[in-house]
Amino acid sequence: MTEKEGKGKYTTVSIPTPLAEKIKRRIEGTGFNSISSYVTYVLRELLASMEEEEEEVFSKEDEEKIKERLRALGYLD
Amino acid sequence: MINYIVSGLERSGTSMMMQILYKGGMPVAFDYSRPPNDHNPKGYYELEGGKIINRLMDGTFPMEKYREKFIKITAYGLKFLPKGKYKIIYMIRNIDEIMDSMEKMSGPINREEEKPLFEKLNRYAIQLMKKRDDIDYIIVNYNKVIKNPRREIERVNEFLGGKLDVESAVKAVDPKLYRNVREVKK
Repeated sequence: MTEKEGKGKYTTVSIPTPLAEKIKRRIEGTGFNSISSYVTYVLRELLASMEEEEEEVFSKEDEEKIKERLRALGYLD
Repeated sequence: MINYIVSGLERSGTSMMMQILYKGGMPVAFDYSRPPNDHNPKGYYELEGGKIINRLMDGTFPMEKYREKFIKITAYGLKFLPKGKYKIIYMIRNIDEIMDSMEKMSGPINREEEKPLFEKLNRYAIQLMKKRDDIDYIIVNYNKVIKNPRREIERVNEFLGGKLDVESAVKAVDPKLYRNVREVKK
């Protein structure tokens, strides 16, 4: 994956040749004009979904335990 | 008009940062409803005895009264910040030191249960600041401040657009007063 796209900053990432070939076949006839643009799209999607998954959510019980400690420390009534 | 906030988990060095800012000539709002004690010999630098979280929760805290001033709102309180324009200095500290200090101040802690909860709260607060487009923030590591105050305070000064008197601010850091310090990570 050594192609350059647009005018932004890019770096080179190596992927196995068979995988690159597979991607090449996959993007034929699609809107993706290079292996890089396809891999960038897939990685962005993947990272976004991972970040969403990792979003911190408190259960009522967890939140109550935090509040209990904050009360003991004098930060909550 | 900006609301300036020092935040972080309780016992993460928020009072120390308030003191740094105060000594460095920044407008800082606090009262003496919680006087200095053994846990914070130099004072808490907070409003309403630190209990403004309650007022943020019920929407009665007068944020507009503190525009252009630093106030201390600990991590959980960030959840209830109304829409506005904020610059936040968020303190982080070795979580075991935080637990040590909380335990001294408030009694025995079940670390297996509470440590992950407070780590989670830290991540939650940082995610929240990252997500909100009305918040600009900097993360400052307490342990690094103790180890190299000038470097960290210069970072803070840059974040504040050079308004801080770094020389005076550095003098606010007295490592002798900060106990329970474990290994400083680079």
